[in-house]
Amino acid sequence: MNMKNIYKAGLIGVCLFLASCAKDKGNYEYRPKEQITVTGIENAYTKISEADRIVLNPTVSSSDPNADFDYLWGIYETNVQGSAPVLDTLAKTKNLDYLVKKPAKGWVLVFRVTNKHSGYSTYFTSNINVVTQFTRGWYVAKDDGTKADLDLFLTPTTISPEGKIENIYSTVNGRSLDGKASLLTFFSTYKSTVTGTLGNTRTLFLTTDKDISAVNINTLKEIRGFNTLFFQAPTTKAPQAVFLGSSANYILNDGKCHSLYSMIANTGVFGIGKIKDDLNSPYYLSQYFLTSPYSDPVFFDQTSSSFLIGNATGSVMTAVSDISTTTMTAKKNNKTLLYMGYKSGPLPVLGYAVFQDKTNPDLKILSQLNPSTTAFNIVNDTLSRSDKLFNATRYMLLDGDENLMYFVSGNEVYSRNLSNRFEQLQYVAPAGEEITFIRHRKYPEAGFNYNYIMIGTKSGSDYKVRMFNKTSGNLDPQPAFILEGKGIVRDVIYISPSMSENTYSNSY
Amino acid sequence: MRKLKVVCFAVALLSAYACKKNQYYVYNDQARIQFGPEESRIYQSSFNLADTLKPFTFYYEDANVKEDTVFFDIYAIGGITKTDRSFTLQQEQVPNLSNAVAGKHYVAFNDPRATKNFVIKANTVHTRVPIIMLRDASLKSSTVVLKFKVIPDQNFLSGEASNLWRKITLTDRLSQPASWDNIATLYYYGKYSVVKHEFLITHTGQKWDEAFLQTLYSDYSLQQYWTGAAKIALIDYNAAHPGNPLRDENNELVVFP
Repeated sequence: MNMKNIYKAGLIGVCLFLASCAKDKGNYEYRPKEQITVTGIENAYTKISEADRIVLNPTVSSSDPNADFDYLWGIYETNVQGSAPVLDTLAKTKNLDYLVKKPAKGWVLVFRVTNKHSGYSTYFTSNINVVTQFTRGWYVAKDDGTKADLDLFLTPTTISPEGKIENIYSTVNGRSLDGKASLLTFFSTYKSTVTGTLGNTRTLFLTTDKDISAVNINTLKEIRGFNTLFFQAPTTKAPQAVFLGSSANYILNDGKCHSLYSMIANTGVFGIGKIKDDLNSPYYLSQYFLTSPYSDPVFFDQTSSSFLIGNATGSVMTAVSDISTTTMTAKKNNKTLLYMGYKSGPLPVLGYAVFQDKTNPDLKILSQLNPSTTAFNIVNDTLSRSDKLFNATRYMLLDGDENLMYFVSGNEVYSRNLSNRFEQLQYVAPAGEEITFIRHRKYPEAGFNYNYIMIGTKSGSDYKVRMFNKTSGNLDPQPAFILEGKGIVRDVIYISPSMSENTYSNSY
Repeated sequence: MRKLKVVCFAVALLSAYACKKNQYYVYNDQARIQFGPEESRIYQSSFNLADTLKPFTFYYEDANVKEDTVFFDIYAIGGITKTDRSFTLQQEQVPNLSNAVAGKHYVAFNDPRATKNFVIKANTVHTRVPIIMLRDASLKSSTVVLKFKVIPDQNFLSGEASNLWRKITLTDRLSQPASWDNIATLYYYGKYSVVKHEFLITHTGQKWDEAFLQTLYSDYSLQQYWTGAAKIALIDYNAAHPGNPLRDENNELVVFP
C-alpha cells in the first residue's frame, strides 16, 4: 500500500469517525401499529348555513385493549388564498351536534381521536358543502329590452328544476340592471371582503350591454358594480364580457381590455384599459374572445382587422405574428369578426371564428384558430352562399365534445361538422317563438351530471329554454326539461357548491 | 508514515474542536444602542439595513409650514431599566456633499427641543427618534444631506457598527421618494428625474410622494393601474408633440419600463 492509499484510508477513517457522532434516532418499537377505527361519519355532507345541524354519534374502537380516548372536532375552510386555514374547534366530545354557521363554501370537518393510553392520535375528515338556497340551481340571465335580471331554477335533488325564484337579482338588490343581458360568468377566487376579511368569494358576474354586477353567490348581494369594479371607471359604459384567462380575470368594455392579476393579493378591482401598441393606436375589440384558464385571451381588433393577445399584468397588448403556413394573416386581414369561440383546450386552446370581408360582404369564412404570439395559424374554410352557416345569426361551439358548431339560421338550429362541413337541421322553433340564445354547457357531478345544448326562445314577453341531451352530437327529439319565465333569455348557467371557475370554458 | 499520523491527528483535533459550541456575543455586558428597522421588521434579516436613508422634501407642504419631522427607529440592547435613559446623536460630515447645517436645516442635536426626545423610556427598549427638519429658503434650490450617528455616553455604548448611523437628504424641491428604489426603477417607474416626477403628478393628479408609493407597493393591481396610466399619458404626450418627446433635466428621453 503506497502512501497515497494510506492517506485516502486515513481520510475515510476520519470521515467515519465524524459520522459516528450522529445520534441514533432509530425506532426500536416492534409492537404492531395501533389501529383506531371510526364508523358513523360519511365522506361528505351538504348543509344549509344557519339552518342545518351536523349531528354525529360515531363509534370509536382501537386495537389497544386499554384504550382511553380524547376527542376533538374542528372545521377548516378550503379554497383559501393568502392565508393558512385555521382549524376552528367545534367540540371536545365524542358526539357532535353543531348548528352550521359557516358561510356557504367548501369546508372540511375534522375528527381527532387520541388514545391517552398510548398517546397515539388519528384524524378522520369529511367534506362539508355549506350551501344556501342560492348556491345550487340554474341561473337565467334575461331582460325586457331595457332592464336585466336573474331567474333562479332550484334543483335540490336532481338537475331538473323543482322550483323557481323569479327576478332574484332585483329582489335581493332592490334594483334590476340597466341594459340587455349578455353573459353569465362564475369566479371562485374573486377577492372581496364580504366576510369581513379579504378572501376568495364565489362570485357570479352578470354582464349587460350597459352594466356589470358581481354578486356573492351565497347571498346574491352585489359585491361590486360597474362604477366600483375599476380603479377608475371607464367613461363609456359599454360592457362586452367578463371572463377568465391565465393568471387574471378580464373585463371587455367599450372595445378595451381591462385585467385583474389574480396570482397575488388583490382587492378585486380591475386595471386600466390596455393600449394596443406603444403608439396607443386606436382600436376597438370585438365582444368575442378566445381564452382558457391556462392561456392569455385572444381578441380581434375590428378597427385594424388584427388579432391581439391580452396579458395579466401589462398595459400594452401583444401583437401576433403569422406562422408561414397560415391560410390567412392574423394582422390587417380586412375582415370583420362575426363570431369567435372556444372549441377545446385548455392548452393549447383551439377556437373557431366566422369572418366577413370588409370589401366584399359576400365573402364569409369559417376559420379554425390556433393562437400564438409568434406563430398564429388560421385554417380557412370559405363559405358558399348555399351553406346554411352563411346566413347564420347566432353561433355556438360544442365545448370539447363532438367537432361540431351549432348555429341559428332564421328560426332553425343547425349543426355543422367542422371536419367534413356536413350541415344538419337539429331543431325548428315552434311558430311564434324567436330564438334568442343558444349554448352548450356540461358538468359532471354525481347526482347532478348534465351535458345539454340549450336553446332559448322568446314568445311575446315569455321565454323558454329547452335543455337538450345530445347523441353523437345530435339533439335528442325532446328536451330533458324546459325552463320558462318572463323576459328575453340571453344566457343560462348552472351553479353548484362544488364548482370552480375552471368548470366551464369561458366563451360566447 | 509520520506525516500521515500528523495529518490524521490534526484532522481529528480539528474535528473535535468543531464540536464545541460557538460562543455568540450577545451584547449583554453593558447597555448599547443602535438604529434598526421599524418594529414589525426587526426579526426579518432582509430589513436589517432598512431605513438607513430617508429622503425628505417640503415640496408637498403648504407654504406656511416651516418645519417637519422625520422619524427613525432606535433600539436599546441589554435589557430594560426602571428609569428613562437618554442617548446622544451627533452629526457626521459627508465628504463632497452639501451637508446640513444645524439651526438652519435641522434643530441641532444639543438643542433642548431635540434632546428631550432622545430618550429610551423606562421599561422599554425602543423609541422613534424625531429629527426636526427646518424649511430654509436655500432648500428651494439645493439639496443637503444630514448624516448622524449615535455616540457612546453615560447610558449607552455603541451597538453594531453597521447600525450606528442614519441619513436624510433634505430639499424643498421635488425629490426621489425612498420607495422609488432600485427595484421600482427597474420594474415600475424607470430612472428617476424631476421632469418625470412632475409629469406623473401633472398627468395623474396624484402626489407620487412616499406615502403614495407605499400605497402602490402594497397593492400590485393598483401599482399596475397607475404605471399603466403613466405610460399611456407619456405616449399621448409624445404623440401630441411630434419630434419633441419629453426629455428630463439631463436631456434624456423620459421613458417608463
